[in-house]
Amino acid sequence: MPLQATAVEQGVLVSTEWVAQHLKDTSIRLVEVDVDTKAYQEGHIPNAMGWAWDTQLCDTLRRDIIPKGKFENLLGQSGITPSTPVILYGDNNNWFAAWAFWQLKVYGHRDVRLMNGGRKKWIAEGRELSMETPPVTPAPYTAKEPDLSIRAFLPEVMKTSKDRTVQLVDVRSPQEFTGEILAPPGLPETCQRGGHIPGAKNIPWGKACNEDGTFKSAEELRSLYQTSGITGNQPVIAYCRIGERSSHTWFVLKYLLGFKDVRNYDGSWTEYGNLVAAPIEKP
Amino acid sequence: MPVPEDYSERKVELCGWPVHIVTYRLGSTYRTTIDNTDPGAWVVKAEGKTKEEAEAKALKEAQTLLEKVKRSKPPTGCTSVPGF
Repeated sequence: MPLQATAVEQGVLVSTEWVAQHLKDTSIRLVEVDVDTKAYQEGHIPNAMGWAWDTQLCDTLRRDIIPKGKFENLLGQSGITPSTPVILYGDNNNWFAAWAFWQLKVYGHRDVRLMNGGRKKWIAEGRELSMETPPVTPAPYTAKEPDLSIRAFLPEVMKTSKDRTVQLVDVRSPQEFTGEILAPPGLPETCQRGGHIPGAKNIPWGKACNEDGTFKSAEELRSLYQTSGITGNQPVIAYCRIGERSSHTWFVLKYLLGFKDVRNYDGSWTEYGNLVAAPIEKP
Repeated sequence: MPVPEDYSERKVELCGWPVHIVTYRLGSTYRTTIDNTDPGAWVVKAEGKTKEEAEAKALKEAQTLLEKVKRSKPPTGCTSVPGF
């Protein structure tokens, strides 16, 4: 079955065409989340809100995801109730849109979807862009307690690196995986050592995407991960540098391929690669 | 409401790295974004009155950034060896 059909049935993926047809649908909330936090102000999908990943989707004091109270405030101030379908999209093939998706699922929001292809596809198709922030009527929002079954922390990563009971998927580029570089070209180096967590398989996140930014078919995705022995028969932990690219892969594995136990290690290489005396593989 | 026009994208190599150049016009302004195709992190963006102007500005800035990327020495096979 084609990916789009499956994903739409699961209610996690919508097309740009679907969004274009629902621009005036007040029962949904469109939200743009970009790597480039200024992109929203330069034009966004009409009636979309903009969330900044670096100030609004994290704890700004300690390194952590957004705290529950702040999350409730963000969604409430965005006019979102627990029953509102939230449609997320963003640049870089939905990197931080997937990060936001993951956090909404951590806090139990029921109906969250990604716009397939993200901001790039919307622009490439020559669709309308707005400079206006839409009017919002704040709504009460009470989040659920965090679902930590979809989030991995360092101790279990260290444990599984040793006993191999969980499959680790490093979704960074091959050059980061091998330690040739410490950060993607053009980005600051935020770790002390290069390489990867022992036992991890390298399947770069971008291999899950087509040229236009949309996700590949289920058959292609299944083949991509099976080639590296990632079949869903074992629990999987995905990681990258700071947890956003691995959110993208987490989405693919959990929602497009239906793996039951997939977690995102958001500490990722900027946590692990800074540890003193931690084992590192560097082929 | 404005719509993006004259959309173009291409891949080239810059400072030894593959980069992805996207340009479109919104109103009278051309906007260029250059990212490194793998992993695809945002690198730079620029605006101009023409496509050529916007892309030239972005390419110049991208080159400055990419020239600073340090590559480690050939892998040693050892554990916990500094990257550079």
